[in-house]
Amino acid sequence: MLASCLLAQGFMGSPDVSILSFVRVPDEVIRKRLLIDGDGAGDDRKINVLLKSFTKWCNSPGTPEEGFTQYQRMLGTLAQCEFSMGKTLMVYDMNLREMENYEKIYSNIEQNIMSAHEKIAECKKEIQRAKRIRKNRQEYDALAKVIQQHPDRHETLKQLEALDKELQQLSHIKENVDAKLELRKKQFHVLLSTIQELQQTLENDEKSDDDNNQESPAENGE
Amino acid sequence: MRLKSDLVQQQQLQKKPFVSYVLLISHVINRVFEWLQLLHMSVFSQSFSPCGRFLAAGNNYGEIAVFSLSAALSPDATAANQKPVLTFTAHEGPVFSLLSTDVHLLSAGNGEISAWSWNELTKKCLCVCRSSLEIPEINSMIINPRDNSLVVGGGDNNIHIMDLEHGVFKNVLQGHSDYIHCVSVRDREAEILSGGEDGAVRMWDSRSSQCVHCIEVYKYESCARPQFGKWISCLTTDSDWMLCGGGPSLSLWHLRSLSPTSIFPLSGCQRQAAFYQDKILAVGEGAFVSHCLLGGEVKAQIPCTPQSLNTLQLNTNSTEHRVLTVGGSSDHIDVFTNLSYRAFSLSF
Repeated sequence: MLASCLLAQGFMGSPDVSILSFVRVPDEVIRKRLLIDGDGAGDDRKINVLLKSFTKWCNSPGTPEEGFTQYQRMLGTLAQCEFSMGKTLMVYDMNLREMENYEKIYSNIEQNIMSAHEKIAECKKEIQRAKRIRKNRQEYDALAKVIQQHPDRHETLKQLEALDKELQQLSHIKENVDAKLELRKKQFHVLLSTIQELQQTLENDEKSDDDNNQESPAENGE
Repeated sequence: MRLKSDLVQQQQLQKKPFVSYVLLISHVINRVFEWLQLLHMSVFSQSFSPCGRFLAAGNNYGEIAVFSLSAALSPDATAANQKPVLTFTAHEGPVFSLLSTDVHLLSAGNGEISAWSWNELTKKCLCVCRSSLEIPEINSMIINPRDNSLVVGGGDNNIHIMDLEHGVFKNVLQGHSDYIHCVSVRDREAEILSGGEDGAVRMWDSRSSQCVHCIEVYKYESCARPQFGKWISCLTTDSDWMLCGGGPSLSLWHLRSLSPTSIFPLSGCQRQAAFYQDKILAVGEGAFVSHCLLGGEVKAQIPCTPQSLNTLQLNTNSTEHRVLTVGGSSDHIDVFTNLSYRAFSLSF
């Protein structure tokens, strides 16, 4: 059983399928081998086939034409293998460069995110400032409304001046009237005192006349 | 072993169908009672933890629930994350006011202020120290950062100032003729503002404890709404400007000149308002949060779950959990991650 499967392996060259059909192998090994080989399952087989055909060709007893055809065939297979190898290398290069590109884009985006964060923080500060300014403006407006209700300062000052002047005039008039009153009072006082004095003098005169009259009859009687 | 005892129990129950029936009925009644409780629940106060990752909310049954914001806001949050991590009964009466210091959560009930340690709360154990006062009902508390004191406004028409270092009451500010709804602190000028049921907003100098100004908002024709009354239920200040509202319309006042600059045409009485960047957020009667501009126009009204809202809080303690939460006459607390729409609701 084992010998026949080994022979089959030698003939076919790609061990996976033959092993699967005859022996129980863990799945992971198969999975790993498939991953590694992948698309290149054919390549691996090709190289094995090439190797075997080379050894066969070296040891073949056939005609030189057959040998030449086999030789050409082998060259063709070799070229195919080289071609696929070159392709894989290019794909590898491409992957590396894509990775670099992605790294660049990634760092770019990160920087953008950071600057956006900073801008957001600044804008928030701006909003706070703007709100404060708005609050102050509204306070001014509210106060201004109240102030408007009170009359203008110039007008009030003018009214005050006019009132002052009126007050002065009136006090002036009052002084004049007072002075006149005083004068009249004094004049009346003079008049009255003169009258009183005259009265007094007249009374005195009468009295002295009476006295004289009393004395003279007394003199006449003697 | 366990299986056998279960079987025995079942057999016993089967022998007494009446007992199992009664148990079932009581279970159903319990569930109905719980559901009714949830229906009648109102959230009166909220406070964020100093690290910004927890929210404490107090309701009208005297319970405080602690919610984990980081769990509820994470990308893989589930419905269980919107339930509290801890609920406990803090007071017998409703919890009207909650306040967070760097270390403690202060809660005010009827006549007592309790301080709960935030560290212990996050670890789900309770550690409390209480101070009892004679104040019948504490509506509002705020911290005056200048001298590290607690300003308490209560139902006895007075403002009490307590020193947080020693826990001793330093001062009493008297002047209001009716109970006090709300207090606020004006940082730059070291003043305390208080608004009360008597319709007056009083400004007190915190150093000399004298009443510096008294504004009777209902006497200004542009603000007054006699159909609602004269009480002031919401007061907040930005050092130069003050928002006050309640019975009268919500209005913006310039404090240097003590004159109202803008009146906001919001129907209903506003219960809490806040300055936020260039806007004003206000909540009150009505199932929405109003966004207004300082000029007096109402820019937007964002709908919410509760029918009327009592409290509004902005989480300024944390940068990654910067949310707005509102609570009101419902067991749901709405959370807004973007001010324009409601993201989700936490529930008791």
